[in-house]
Amino acid sequence: MSDANNSSKNSATRSIVIVGGGAAGWITAGILAAKLRSDTEGSIQVTLVESPDIKIIGVGEGTWPTMRSTLQKMGISETEFMKYCDATFKQGAKFAKWVDGSEEDYYYHPLMLPQGFLKMDLAPYWHKYADKISFSEAVCFQEHICEQGLAPKLITTSEYDSVANYAYHLNAGKLADFLQKHCKEKLGVHHILDNVTEVRPAPNGDITAVATKNNGDITGDLFIDCTGFKSLLLGEHYSVPFLDKSDILFIDNALAVQVPYDDEDSKIASHTISTAQQAGWIWDIGLGTRRGVGHVYSSQHTSEDEAEHDLRSYIGVKNKDLMIRKIPIRSGHRKIFWKNNCVAVGLSAGFLEPLEASALVLIELSATMISEQLPADRNVMDIVAKRYNEIFLYRWDRIIDFLKLHYILSKRTDNKFWSDNRDPDTIPESLKDLMKLWQYRAPGDMDFTSNNEVFPAASYQYVLYGMGFRTDFSLSQTQLTEQAQADDLFGRNMQAVKRALATLPKNRDLIKKLHEHGFQSI
Amino acid sequence: MAQLEALSKIHHRNIKIDMAATKKQCAYQRMMPVVMSEFLKLSIQYPILFTKDSETGQFVCVVLFGFEDGENLFWQDGEWSAVYTPLNVRRQPFFIGENDQKQNEKDHDYIICINIDDESVDENTGEAIFDATGKETEFLTTMQSILGSLIDGEAQTRKFIDTLLDLKLVTPISLDITFADQQEIRAEGMYSIDEEKLETLDKDTLFSLHSSDYLNPIYTMIASLGQIYALIQKKNSRLEQPSAWLQKTED
Repeated sequence: MSDANNSSKNSATRSIVIVGGGAAGWITAGILAAKLRSDTEGSIQVTLVESPDIKIIGVGEGTWPTMRSTLQKMGISETEFMKYCDATFKQGAKFAKWVDGSEEDYYYHPLMLPQGFLKMDLAPYWHKYADKISFSEAVCFQEHICEQGLAPKLITTSEYDSVANYAYHLNAGKLADFLQKHCKEKLGVHHILDNVTEVRPAPNGDITAVATKNNGDITGDLFIDCTGFKSLLLGEHYSVPFLDKSDILFIDNALAVQVPYDDEDSKIASHTISTAQQAGWIWDIGLGTRRGVGHVYSSQHTSEDEAEHDLRSYIGVKNKDLMIRKIPIRSGHRKIFWKNNCVAVGLSAGFLEPLEASALVLIELSATMISEQLPADRNVMDIVAKRYNEIFLYRWDRIIDFLKLHYILSKRTDNKFWSDNRDPDTIPESLKDLMKLWQYRAPGDMDFTSNNEVFPAASYQYVLYGMGFRTDFSLSQTQLTEQAQADDLFGRNMQAVKRALATLPKNRDLIKKLHEHGFQSI
Repeated sequence: MAQLEALSKIHHRNIKIDMAATKKQCAYQRMMPVVMSEFLKLSIQYPILFTKDSETGQFVCVVLFGFEDGENLFWQDGEWSAVYTPLNVRRQPFFIGENDQKQNEKDHDYIICINIDDESVDENTGEAIFDATGKETEFLTTMQSILGSLIDGEAQTRKFIDTLLDLKLVTPISLDITFADQQEIRAEGMYSIDEEKLETLDKDTLFSLHSSDYLNPIYTMIASLGQIYALIQKKNSRLEQPSAWLQKTED
């Protein structure tokens, strides 16, 4: 009896070691330390070991709206965060030239649900107006404000509150710095700047410590691998295989460039602009002081020279001297993410092209699940690990499906990239099934029944109908009896558009005011 | 449209201010910024609240005159009907401007401006601001002292607000009001003192509020909230005599 007690006490989770800084390491540290109250006596300790020599890869500069509550839970002031990280508002994404490549070809994936989405589905009723108005314009006011360059809130709106739902565009390197300071000063995270030289295994395969060059062995009960593409613990130490997904998502390279604004009054787009190219697409993200622009492409379908040429023609001749940085991309993820007492978060777990800004949100989801389901003792860790692996495999699969959806409905023929993307052999069965169902009904919550979904059914509607897909409702016509209610919601949306256009400030103006006055916390 | 000019002995020597017309400037204002030094007098008739400045998002202290945009229930029969009139109403048509011509330390940070387009300003009727010799009249001296109180008061009130924000003593209040005509409104963007939080403050914090002379204005603000009911009554009695009210505004 007393032996059992002792053994359980000895295997209680008391200390968590995060290996690697960067956005993944510090977001994870912040979420864990805030939830575990690591700043208080006797609580679970969070230690972050970071190499002083390894450069941070600034993964994607777009977040999800979830980042707002993530930061809020850490006790961070939105004003301070936005000022430090050069952050701006992101109200979704505009996909240009994805359908046929023409100038007028674009659609939006906004961050707000369609009007009345929780009560009724407008998609079937919109179909009869589809020739006159796009789906996103008809059911949501966000595209209208984005097109006018307006911000999603007012200077009188409190921190983290919104008029229109929003996420951020930010400088990911600065985010890591900002969180590092906050985690150390406010949340009680221990920070060790040192190189990990070795991993110390126990007989049962667990990691007992990571050895460092100058700080000796750093012991822990749970190790979180945030070492980026290197995947030092999960990949190198445990040799967990990497599942390559390049047979579905062909992008394998990125060329990134930082583009200055013409002047300090230049418009800042409040959405990510994603413009399709012959063998990939270009992201365009407006930060406070510069734009982050990059071309992701498939080297199977175009050359680096051509990709650079396409990027240079996008940013224009006046930016011809800007330096372009090349980043190789490997689409895919580890076969499992949690092995023994080690879990990988961030690039060490996997990476997918930044089409829907899934990198940072996956870090938030991972750290949140670890913090909420943290095994109190080693003897329950394998159960948590099993659940974690199931849930995250599901999430990666759903993200892959959703990203692929953007490609399969394109009508572009300018490069084999697009026809290869439409080849049924490259489309996951799960997505093919959904596409078959959606021939006769709109995407709905019944298609996404897990409570661990990443994208809601509404996101599928925005992309599906934005890309020109039409559902054939003729077989269910007699069930569509709520035309009057639907028209009422379409009308309400137009009123919301008018109100928003009349009250919201220009995005640039609000960013300026934010820097001058800040948002109030209430 | 307001045309603000720095007050000048030369340019504005012959100007007169029609006191009956000055307050008209505020006839359609729903709220007005106020300063701490006038809280006690204000609390006799007006609800004193916090709201956010629409340009900067910063908190300011205001009194409420009405419930809808453009509604001022203290403006009755063409005149201001209240025992005490807020300084920011009484200073009309004068304004405080920042002195951007400041050349050395001795120069003032602020200058007096006048809205020469205001209805109350002309050269015929009302109070002169300079006498025949070009000297400031007693009227202008009074105005200067009102503006002086506002400059000092704004800085003082700013500090008061910042202290309350730091202590998280400011809290949003929501007003759901149904008027006599069954019209329902929700007044948003209003804040007051968080009384629950106030009760939990420790001795040291309370003492420091007391030594800064902040306890009085805090309790005055809380007490003044009751004036919202008086304001609702004002509105209801107008609604009960709609025709009389309309006639009065037309003439």
